[in-house]
Amino acid sequence: MPRTRWIVVFAVVGFVALAGGFYARQSADEPSTRNVVGSDAGPLLGVALPDTRGRDQPIGQWKGKVLIVNFWATWCVPCREEMPLFVKTQRDLGDQGVQFVGVAIDQPDKIDAFAAEIELNYPALVGGYGAIELSKTMGNRLGALPFTVIVDRAGKVAHTQLGPLKDGQLRSIIGQLL
Amino acid sequence: MLAWLAAALWAGALDAAGPKLLEPERAFAFSVQAIDDKTVEARFVIASGYYLYREKLHFSVEPATLASSPSLPSGTLKDDEFFGKVETYRGQLAVRLALQQPAPGGKVVVRAESQGCADVGVCYPPQAQNVTVTLPLPGERPEAPVAATPARKSWFN
Repeated sequence: MPRTRWIVVFAVVGFVALAGGFYARQSADEPSTRNVVGSDAGPLLGVALPDTRGRDQPIGQWKGKVLIVNFWATWCVPCREEMPLFVKTQRDLGDQGVQFVGVAIDQPDKIDAFAAEIELNYPALVGGYGAIELSKTMGNRLGALPFTVIVDRAGKVAHTQLGPLKDGQLRSIIGQLL
Repeated sequence: MLAWLAAALWAGALDAAGPKLLEPERAFAFSVQAIDDKTVEARFVIASGYYLYREKLHFSVEPATLASSPSLPSGTLKDDEFFGKVETYRGQLAVRLALQQPAPGGKVVVRAESQGCADVGVCYPPQAQNVTVTLPLPGERPEAPVAATPARKSWFN
């Protein structure tokens, strides 16, 4: 094959590969979360949300603890599956300064029913759909659930997670912050 | 040339670096086509690895009213640990919506409320999508389907 023909072939293959790469990135693969690790958790800590009895609970009241804020909903099966792990971890590590807080994109009666079902041992706040926007400020670009923000004792974001946390992973992250 | 190819491969490798999710309106691409002066077809194209809940799917039209409740096709039965037996949709879903009164040449806003999840263990909040279509005049060909949002971005936007 003449040299010029090889050049044409390479040019076509190169263009297709490059265009394919750009296409894949643009069409499906933008990051699902924005990296906010290391940033100040002020936008989260400065918010007060009602509990299921309607009493405002400032999230900042737990500053100084290793704070795990979990955005969830009863209509989100992966959220429900993940929460017993949080209950167990709160029970095991609560006296070492670990505090879980659930922010539910849901209605108070549904939150209470599920809380009773799993014997929830940490605060469940009522976020409504406004809480989706709050989670977006913490890097949850798509507003999907479950989404968890782990804040260190100094009030900095130590970890964010879209999708369920695994037991070992959660313990490892918390262990580094205690 | 080799540098060009390397750049292309690098772009692809970045994409494979971690789990990435579609925007909800692209995971559940909604479109509507007018069929005749009193019927529209609502369609969801559900991306691979995603699903919609049948019982969370609702359609309405404005300013018209529907002649009857939409007949949703059966979904795939899923035995859910928390919700019991639920039906879900994957792939494509088309639902004919019959209006109470013909409205030749009229505009109709079709609203879909839906809620779905991704197999990777993430759920999207309920979302509402609106599409406006023009019903055809008698003897006129219906317009092409109208997408709620562009199903795909162009390569370089």
